[in-house]
Amino acid sequence: MNRSLKTMTAVAAAAALSIGFVSAGHAATQTKIAFVMGAEADPFFQAMKVGAQAQATASNVNLVWQGDPSHYDVQTEVPIVDSVISQAPDGLVLIPTDPTGLQASSDKAVAAGIQVANVDTHVADLSKVLTFITGDNGDGGAKAADAIAGAIKYTKGKTYQVVVGLTSKTATTNVARLDGFKAQIAKKYPGIKIKDVAYSASNPQTASSNVNNWLTKYPNLSGIFAIDGTNASGAAAALQSKKLVGKVALVGYDAYPANVALLKKGVFTALIAQDPAAEARLAIKTLVAKIVNGKNPAKRDVVIPNVALTKSTSAANLKKYTYVAN
Amino acid sequence: MTDSKQDQLKPAGIGAGIAKLFSNQSILLVAVILVLGIFFSIQSGGDFAKVMVFNNILTDWGSIILLAVGQTLVVISGGIDLSVGATVSLSSVVSAFVMMNVFKWDGTITGDAATVPLLVGTLIAVLTGAAVGVVNAILINVAKIVPFIATLATLSAAGGLAIIISGGQPLQGPSNFSLISAFGDPRLNPFSFMIIAVIVVVVIAGLFIHKAKLGLYTYAIGSNTFAARGAGINVERHLTKVYVLSGVFAGLGGMYSYIRLGAGSPTSGSGMELYAIAATVIGGASLMGGVGRILGTVLGTLVLYTVQSGLLMINVSPDWKQIVVAILIAGAVAVQGFKFTSKRSK
Repeated sequence: MNRSLKTMTAVAAAAALSIGFVSAGHAATQTKIAFVMGAEADPFFQAMKVGAQAQATASNVNLVWQGDPSHYDVQTEVPIVDSVISQAPDGLVLIPTDPTGLQASSDKAVAAGIQVANVDTHVADLSKVLTFITGDNGDGGAKAADAIAGAIKYTKGKTYQVVVGLTSKTATTNVARLDGFKAQIAKKYPGIKIKDVAYSASNPQTASSNVNNWLTKYPNLSGIFAIDGTNASGAAAALQSKKLVGKVALVGYDAYPANVALLKKGVFTALIAQDPAAEARLAIKTLVAKIVNGKNPAKRDVVIPNVALTKSTSAANLKKYTYVAN
Repeated sequence: MTDSKQDQLKPAGIGAGIAKLFSNQSILLVAVILVLGIFFSIQSGGDFAKVMVFNNILTDWGSIILLAVGQTLVVISGGIDLSVGATVSLSSVVSAFVMMNVFKWDGTITGDAATVPLLVGTLIAVLTGAAVGVVNAILINVAKIVPFIATLATLSAAGGLAIIISGGQPLQGPSNFSLISAFGDPRLNPFSFMIIAVIVVVVIAGLFIHKAKLGLYTYAIGSNTFAARGAGINVERHLTKVYVLSGVFAGLGGMYSYIRLGAGSPTSGSGMELYAIAATVIGGASLMGGVGRILGTVLGTLVLYTVQSGLLMINVSPDWKQIVVAILIAGAVAVQGFKFTSKRSK
């Protein structure tokens, strides 16, 4: 081997070693957390991303943000989660689009030594999950029932027709909100009858179509509970095109900026808002505490309250709860 | 085949007449719509027969038919365009973004004051759709990627771009709900301005496809590409036109969605490509190419939304909708197969 070749080999070896040391040092100090959410196109998850990124920077976390661009669907989420697991992160924040469909992937992550947190929705068996952080969806559904009852000036002895627009039959948030809505109606407003439910599959045009058909089928419809942001957008458009704003109470979920603007215009009677950024921040904090310091959360399940926004909500609170995107 | 065998295959008398009548896919679809209409009207206690239900069906029909017309053209050429749903999302979002950020037209502009902004928005949506069509054509003609994969790639890219541009949020720009409302001009009820505009576009497209060189070349390429090339047709140039037109129709569909929702939404076209393909197939087009009629596609789309609206009006679980659509597609393909077999046996 001539001298120049030896020199080159030595330089290459030194470079490789130094890269190795830097990588090792980097890996030793920076925790890697993967965050797999439902659908990137949903402003709820955009707001969550803002919170996750802020906390990742504060906690020196290498954040891997993943999920389907637009479909809130178990069939697209499973391969994404499995691919993320193969990257061997220290922690995984998972928003399961289906409680049973994502169970195997969640178990696989735990078996690979990855700490798993569930946010917003959860897998069927939470026993191996470090923490589950969610908005109080049941309470949100109850607040929606209160808002509709208030808007229609509910009177005992009278009957009222309402309908509910959902995105999916199995998403645990949809189910919890509907259960909370039904329970509150049974408890406090027995005169309110839920006439029908329909699914929009995350498409606001489908949500609008469902409401158009309901408005024709139930000419005496008193209220609509649009159980998430997509249904809220579609229902608001249908009421405006049928010139029924103010005549049918509309309670939506999720404080998209566009929906908050429609609340101010009186199209929505009320909007139930969550705090997705706070949920994401807490999930990353909890995972870092476990991964870096071995510290378990004080309690596994954490519920962050939902709030009902109305036209009379203060400007400061409207701003606070409006979902902010990047 | 011997004469005696042919005689055995031919239905006789009135049966033969009925069989001949129903071998025409369009007549069959009209019959299906009538039967469905009567069935849903009886089951809903007359609710389904209301004029407003017809308006609801037409409003839904308008959201898909533009995509389905483009899809029919592509399918006749022997290809497929999976990108149309994502193009709806992208064009509605780009249109809203440009109106709001370039021209500074925001959600406070409503009613008649929104006419000029919405016309500009339509132009932007059409250009966006055409751009997606150009990309599809380049992938298919230059990169030699099969249409299924090429348009699958643009579906993904257009969907991603829609999210990036909108930040995942519906963008609420100028709006005029009177354009999509049956109450906008009561004289038009159950039609609305937008439904009439869509019908005009579909009729013009139908004339070009069935009466002009555009259609003739498309049928020729879809039937036999080698023969079409041999006859002097520049296949690549013509396919470019076909995919750009499909993109233009999807762009118009994006603007329809914008006007319907009063906002550009990154999920407004989610899954619509499958409905457009389903309507095309139910309408009698063959995914093998060379076969398809715009009238069939118009009726196929009406069948889909008559079913969707009808099931909701009679309180059938939404889960059944998918099953019924699957049965309709299978039935349409079976009818095609039957017609093909009958023709060959003659």
